[in-house]
This record gives sequence, structure tokens and C-alpha cells, in this order.
Amino acid sequence: MMGTLDYIWLGVLAVFQGPELFSIFGLPISITLLMILCGFLLGIVVGATPGLAGPVAMAISLPILISVFGYTPDALLPVMGFLIGIMKGATIGGAVPAILFNTPGTPDAYMTTLDGYPMAQKGHAKKALRVAHFASVSGDTFSDVVLVICAPFLALLVEQYLDLPEKTALLILSLSFIAAAVGGSAAKGLISTGLGLLVAFIGTGADFYPRLSMGTEALSQGITLGPAILGVLIIGAVFHELAGQWRHRDVVSRPVPQIEIGSDRLSLGDVRKLMPYIGRSAIVGTMVGALPGIGSTLAATIGYTMGQRRHEKIAKPDEPAFGEGAMEGIAATEAANSSVSGANLIPVLSLGIPGNTAAVFLILAADSIGGFNPGPSVFKFTTDAVNPELVIAFGLFTAMFVANFLNWTIGGLFMRSMGIMARVPKQLLLPVVLLLTLTAIYVQETRLEVIWFTLAFGLLGYGMRLLAISPLPFVIAFILGGKLEATARQAFDATGSDPFFLLNNPIAAAFMVLSVAIIFLASRKKPESK
Amino acid sequence: MKKPLFQNTNVMTGLFFTALALLLLFVWIPLDSDTGLIEKVRRQVAIGDALAPTVAALFLLIGGGLLMLLEGKSDTPPAIDAASVKFVARIFAMLVLSFVLMRYAGPLAVQVVNAIQGNDLEYRLLRDTAPWKWLGYVLGGTLAICGTISLTEGRFSLRALVVALLAIAAMIAIFDLPFDDLLLPPNGDL
Repeated sequence: MMGTLDYIWLGVLAVFQGPELFSIFGLPISITLLMILCGFLLGIVVGATPGLAGPVAMAISLPILISVFGYTPDALLPVMGFLIGIMKGATIGGAVPAILFNTPGTPDAYMTTLDGYPMAQKGHAKKALRVAHFASVSGDTFSDVVLVICAPFLALLVEQYLDLPEKTALLILSLSFIAAAVGGSAAKGLISTGLGLLVAFIGTGADFYPRLSMGTEALSQGITLGPAILGVLIIGAVFHELAGQWRHRDVVSRPVPQIEIGSDRLSLGDVRKLMPYIGRSAIVGTMVGALPGIGSTLAATIGYTMGQRRHEKIAKPDEPAFGEGAMEGIAATEAANSSVSGANLIPVLSLGIPGNTAAVFLILAADSIGGFNPGPSVFKFTTDAVNPELVIAFGLFTAMFVANFLNWTIGGLFMRSMGIMARVPKQLLLPVVLLLTLTAIYVQETRLEVIWFTLAFGLLGYGMRLLAISPLPFVIAFILGGKLEATARQAFDATGSDPFFLLNNPIAAAFMVLSVAIIFLASRKKPESK
Repeated sequence: MKKPLFQNTNVMTGLFFTALALLLLFVWIPLDSDTGLIEKVRRQVAIGDALAPTVAALFLLIGGGLLMLLEGKSDTPPAIDAASVKFVARIFAMLVLSFVLMRYAGPLAVQVVNAIQGNDLEYRLLRDTAPWKWLGYVLGGTLAICGTISLTEGRFSLRALVVALLAIAAMIAIFDLPFDDLLLPPNGDL
């Protein structure tokens, strides 16, 4: 008889007692542990390198990892552990160039520059880095705890109360929410979602003839996940960045001032002072992260603004204000943007709906390897036989806490040594990333066709960025398109071909009304200027 | 001062996607799907293959329409700089050229060697043998990286060539040397 605790224990054992790589003093070290460590260190490096970010490292690593570990269920935890390590490492790495060079390593670290760089200029760079690390790890750990508690319960609720029509309506609600929430323009979000769905439906369908293939061999096989996702997300971003570099090629870059790192430590008094800011931002970031599609940049902005209001009320006159080198500003930002990452996995693990790019790559890994389909069916606590997917899910939770442990112990030290990465010239780095990504896709699919597809999707991604259309709804809609159609077909059949199956059921109808209301309300708000 | 490509990009974008949606709804989907929105299979009504793309087209139609109506008069539509678009087109063309070179360099080299030495070698049989298997990747990859750096910097430099060669060597070391089952481009196609 299997109970909940047995499943949790099996998940922990899967990480710690997986295939052994070597042993230290007779203590076996599993390959999964090593992969989490490697992913975490790589994540810090890419996070600290402006122009690179977690998704780039994930995109390049995935085919290599799959080649190493193969397409067996044993590969799931090492590969996904590596990706989780990257996700967590990149989150703290982004603060390094933000503090030392006034250049955010990742977009969500922009607010960190506001107080981090002034602190560094005053000779307190090391303290600023310590604050960023402490706040980031605290927020991240809090978010992971919420994930572990909420994801199984949400999945159980979905399985218990939602039937096929409600699940179809929930997918539509998620898509409209993502369209409305990402990028600041509901209209552009809808366009991005529509394009993603359209691409997902090319060359697929229930009929013998692959629809929308125009009779061509290339389209009749459908568009695979790799070229579409990596093209739009990575190659499109590289094209956009290169164009920016080219536009400013004649601007003589000022030499980056050498900042004195300093040696000041974070005292217990400092920690006590920071905790209220970290706590509030962690809650905000976790709430924002649990909603699919809303990124860490918004969480950082909200966390910073809330922290600023509090600071204005209670700060002593001799303390620096927000924007002038207040360590509370760094803490509020970093706790908020880091607490998004764990919570972002709530929709993907409990509903199968990816909410951010890291979740997209976890789905890509699960899809490539097989044996694990993120969604409510994962959390079936079967008692008579072991549900292997549930063991993997608890293994992933364990991997997240292992990464957090690494973050608390060695993360700060490694992070503080990464200042050098901000000096790597982008115009040299980006072309290498471009070829590396294309090579990574090719070695997985071994058809030149996928290179052409990826380049074409790269152009699409560039065009979308040019028109201020966020590519994230495209990617999420592309991933969910097949699932939406399959669920709708099943729901239609199960309801006896009822054309109003989305409206006859109260929960499904409520989801549909919400879908329309979200778009309506988001369209009325003034779009963000770009 | 950069020259904008369009005066109001939001209106143009909305118009484009509305037109695309109408094209999808009235031309592409009806002509390129074998079943309609719904179909009757053995006296049972089921969802047809045209329904899902129609939903996608409706997303585009509503998005395009809203963009024109609500954001057409936005004070800050995204500015599109024609020169940047041309630059990306040049990068794209150069990448296409690089991959064409990558595809044909190896087989062409084998033909040249055959013509000179009178051999009867086939690239297909050599595609997993060094140095043949690296020829296309090194030439095409170097052109891709060095060309992209040179276009971005506005000049060719020895530094760009060195970075390209080092990066290619590193990629061969990552993808090819440790794995017997991985094939670098273009060897999986040949």
C-alpha cells in the first residue's frame, strides 16, 4: 500500500539514490545531484552575462543532455534537475552585472540597478551582492515551499471537479489570460496566441490529409516543438539584440569603471531590517508567479514599489532613499523576481499549462524524453501500484530544494566571482549563441529542414519583437494547441455532440465568461508604452 | 535620426493580421482541410479538422481588430527602423549562404579529390570520418559566425575570424567528440 509519505520518500530517494556517479568517503553521489550542481553553476554564469539568460542555456543544453542520458525514464531527473539548476542559478546571476556595472544580466534585474549600482559606487558592492543573494534565495525558497504545497492540491481539485468541458474552458481561459497579461497589450497578446495556435495546427488533425500543409512534404509532418520554440524565443532574440548592437556600433563604449568590491558583511541587524521587505516581496512574487504568463519583471516592479512606499514611511533621515543606494531596494526587487520561479511551476505541474520560458523548457524536456506528462494526472496517489510520474514530480521538488541548498551554501560565493562575465562583448557572443542553438537543434533532429524552419521562426520572433508583440503567448499557445483541440474533441463526443458544451456547464460557462471579460478589461486599459 | 518604416505601426499591424485572418477563414482553411468545422462520421457528429484553425484565425481577427480600433491612435506605437530591418535581412541572407556552404562543401571537396586523385570516394560513406565530417561544419559555421560579427561591427576583423574558429572547435568538442551517435550538420542529411 502506497501512501503520500511513501511517494515523497521515493521522490527523495530517486534524486539521492539514482544512478551513482562516484562516491566520496563511501557516500554515493548520484548523477542527478551532480547535474543539479552543474546546471546551477551554469545558470549563474549565463545569468551574469548580459545578452544570455536561462532559456539560452536550457536550449543549448537540452539536446546534449538527451544525447548523454537517452530517451529513458531514468533520464528525466538528471535532465530536468539540470534545467532546474539553470533556472535557479540564472535568477541570482542576473543581479551581478546589475550591481557591478549598472547593466541587468536578465530583464527582471533592471530594478536591482537602481539601488545596487549606487551602493557599488559608494564602495559597498560586496554588501549589495550579499543582499541580492540573501533576498533572492529567501524568496526562491519561500516560493518553492508554496509550490510543493499548492501544486498537488490544485491538481487534485482539477481532477476531482473538472470534467472534459471544464478542462477545455480552463485551457481557453489560460490562453486568454496569458494573451491579456503578457506584454501590456491584449490585442497583441491575442495575435501572438492566434499565431501560436495556427502553427500548432499545421500538418496535424484527425483526418488522413494533414491540414494546412498546402500539399507539401515539409508541412505535412507538422511543426515540431524545437524549431518553433527556439526559433521564436532564442533566434528571434539574437536577431533583435544584434540589430541593437549594429545600430549603436559607432557609439564609443565608455570603459566600465572598476568597482571596488569592498569587504563589508551582512550583519544580523541588516538581516532583521531586510526581512519585512523580503517577506512582502516574496509573497507578491509567489502570487504573481502562480498566474501563468506574468513574468518576474512585473513582480520585481511591484515588489520594489511596495518596498519604496514602506521605506518612505519608516526610514530614518540619514538612511539612503530608494534609488540612491538603499539595500532594502535591492532586497525588495530580488526577493520578488526570485520568488516567481518556483511558483511559476504551479500551473505547469498541476494543470500542464506552462507559465514562463523555464516551464516551456521543462515541458520540452519531458516531451522529448517521454514518461512524464506534466498535468493534473501526475498527482494520482495510487495506493495499489506506484505511479512513476508522481515519483518524478516529488523528485523534481527534491531537486528544487537541493538547488536551494546549493544556492544558500555556495551560490553567494560563486555569484560574487562572476563580475567578469559582463565584460564579454555581446557582438562576439551572440553569433556563437546563434550557431550553437542551430547546431543543438540539428543534432537532435538531424534534418537541415529544421534549420530552415528555425531560422524562419527566428525571423518571426524578430518581427514580433519589432512590433512589440510578446513571443511568450505564441510559445504557450503552440504548446497547448494540440491539447486544447484533443480535449475539445473528447468533450464534444462525451456530451453527445452538444455544440454548446462550453456553456451548458456552470463551471465551464464561468471560465468562458471570465475569458471574454479578461480580454475586454485588458483592452480597455491604456497599453504600456514601449 | 532613424527613419521609421511606417507612420503608425499599430494600424498597419492590425490591418495585416485582420487581412491574414480573413485569408485564413475564407481561403486557406476551407481549401486546405479535408473536413469542415464539424463532420458526420457513421451518423455521429464530430469536430472537423477546420474548427481548430478557425479558432486560431478568430484570435488573429479579434486581435487585429482591437489593435486597429483601440491602439491605432496610441501616442507611442513601436517605431520600426528600416535600416535595422535591412540589417537583419542581410544577417539572414548570410546565414542561409553559410548553411548552403555547410551542406555542399563536404560532397564538393570529395568530388574534387576524386577528380584529382582518380578515386571513387562517396561523401555519404565518409560522413562519420574525420576530417571529412567537419569540413562543411567548419567552413559554413566559420562563415556564419565571422560573417555575423563582421556585419554587426561594420567591418571584417581578424578577431572575428579567430572567435569563429575557436567557437567551431569548441562546438565540435561539445557535440561530436564525446558522442558516437550525434551527427554535426549537414551529415544527418547526406
